[in-house]
Amino acid sequence: MNADLMSTIEGIQNQTSSDAILDIMYRAIGGYGFERFIVSGLPDPGIDVRPFVLLSGWDDEWYERYTGKGYVHLDPVARHCFSTTLPFDWSDAPYDAENDAPARRVMQEARDFGMDEGFCVPVHMEGGMQGVVSLVGKTDHLDEKDRLELHMLALYAHGRLRYLNSPQERLDGRRGITRREAEILKWAATGKTAAEIADITGLTTRTINQHCENAQKRMGTNNRLHTVVEAIRHKLITL
Amino acid sequence: MKLQIIRGLADRQSHDLLEENFRLRHRVFVDMEGWEALRRPDGRDVDDFDNADATHLLMTDTAGKLVGGSRITPLDRPNLLQTVFNGLVHGELPAHPSLGADWTRFYVRPDRREGRRRAPESAALFCAVMEYALSQGLSYITFVSSIYMLEHGTAVGWRITPLGPPVISEGKPTVAAWIEVSEAALGAVRRATGWVTPMLPDGPWPAEHLPDRGLPV
Repeated sequence: MNADLMSTIEGIQNQTSSDAILDIMYRAIGGYGFERFIVSGLPDPGIDVRPFVLLSGWDDEWYERYTGKGYVHLDPVARHCFSTTLPFDWSDAPYDAENDAPARRVMQEARDFGMDEGFCVPVHMEGGMQGVVSLVGKTDHLDEKDRLELHMLALYAHGRLRYLNSPQERLDGRRGITRREAEILKWAATGKTAAEIADITGLTTRTINQHCENAQKRMGTNNRLHTVVEAIRHKLITL
Repeated sequence: MKLQIIRGLADRQSHDLLEENFRLRHRVFVDMEGWEALRRPDGRDVDDFDNADATHLLMTDTAGKLVGGSRITPLDRPNLLQTVFNGLVHGELPAHPSLGADWTRFYVRPDRREGRRRAPESAALFCAVMEYALSQGLSYITFVSSIYMLEHGTAVGWRITPLGPPVISEGKPTVAAWIEVSEAALGAVRRATGWVTPMLPDGPWPAEHLPDRGLPV
């Protein structure tokens, strides 16, 4: 097997942070002509996808739009993951273009964000949970060997990220959060902004943000919302 | 759940359990997974490697019912990896074959893997295989499976290295690979699955290396 791929696979498994895997993945998929990607679990209908996102290499605006508006439940590509075990081109995700207006809208908007073509790897986990690794870029140049290699790469990245995000690893392998961080996350969970929390606690806004970032690093989460959700889920804070 | 280790030719007590294992394997691998090459008129999946060299790790529930299993065969004796699946192996094994073993026929009883949960049977078997490998002084375990095993294995913190490029076999992406055996790998799979109870039976059980093999020269 080609040496680059072997070293990528080894690299992914050596990493202990999501950010480091992000870097490796950018480099690796670049070799196959892809620019951006996302690694995520797929929630049940109506559930917010954000806590399920393991790693996003999408641009921020599209990410906010896609996750904030619940597009994951309308997107034909995400939906198709539930009905196939094999990787597929986005353009092969079936949907009723005539009657399914929401799906059509998501596809149209994705095009407007320059995300009109891509390659999607569905991931079926134990117990019927569903995940996805989706790569943005043209696919017509890929041969079967490329597709199998990308498939394998995607599974390594998904598995490693899932391990790094598993609760036991997080709590045993890394420190929990400090009492101060917990206090700040509790305020954040009630919808307070950094400035408001600064007023309440007598700290500076900058310090509040720093505490949140530290908690985020320790917990391996992607943003403030994700940090709060995970802190609640693992009972690091109670409301 | 309890782990039963049956080695080589079963004694009378283990015989029934081993037979149940063969029948269940036929149901899982032939009837459900469609491995037609394994189909046998007697409904028992038994191949050339279910011989005196094989070790069967079988999981039973509190009622003594078989709920899942795996077969471990030595790599310095005839084995599945280096015969039937040899075409999938391109690179070298990571160490001398006497330091490795081939993990085959991993399954969980079909009625135990329904619903949205990680089957505890599967978690327990993952832990049992790693614990067993450590107890035997092995440094790696090989396997051939659907490519999805790479995800399931790395998700429990195992380090897995392909032995060759993945190929499409009977419509399914398939790969041969090896798993690093270590205390860290056992700790990781226990943490990730939450299955922290040691699985190997207490008391006297054959703790020596697999029979009649001597040391590598």
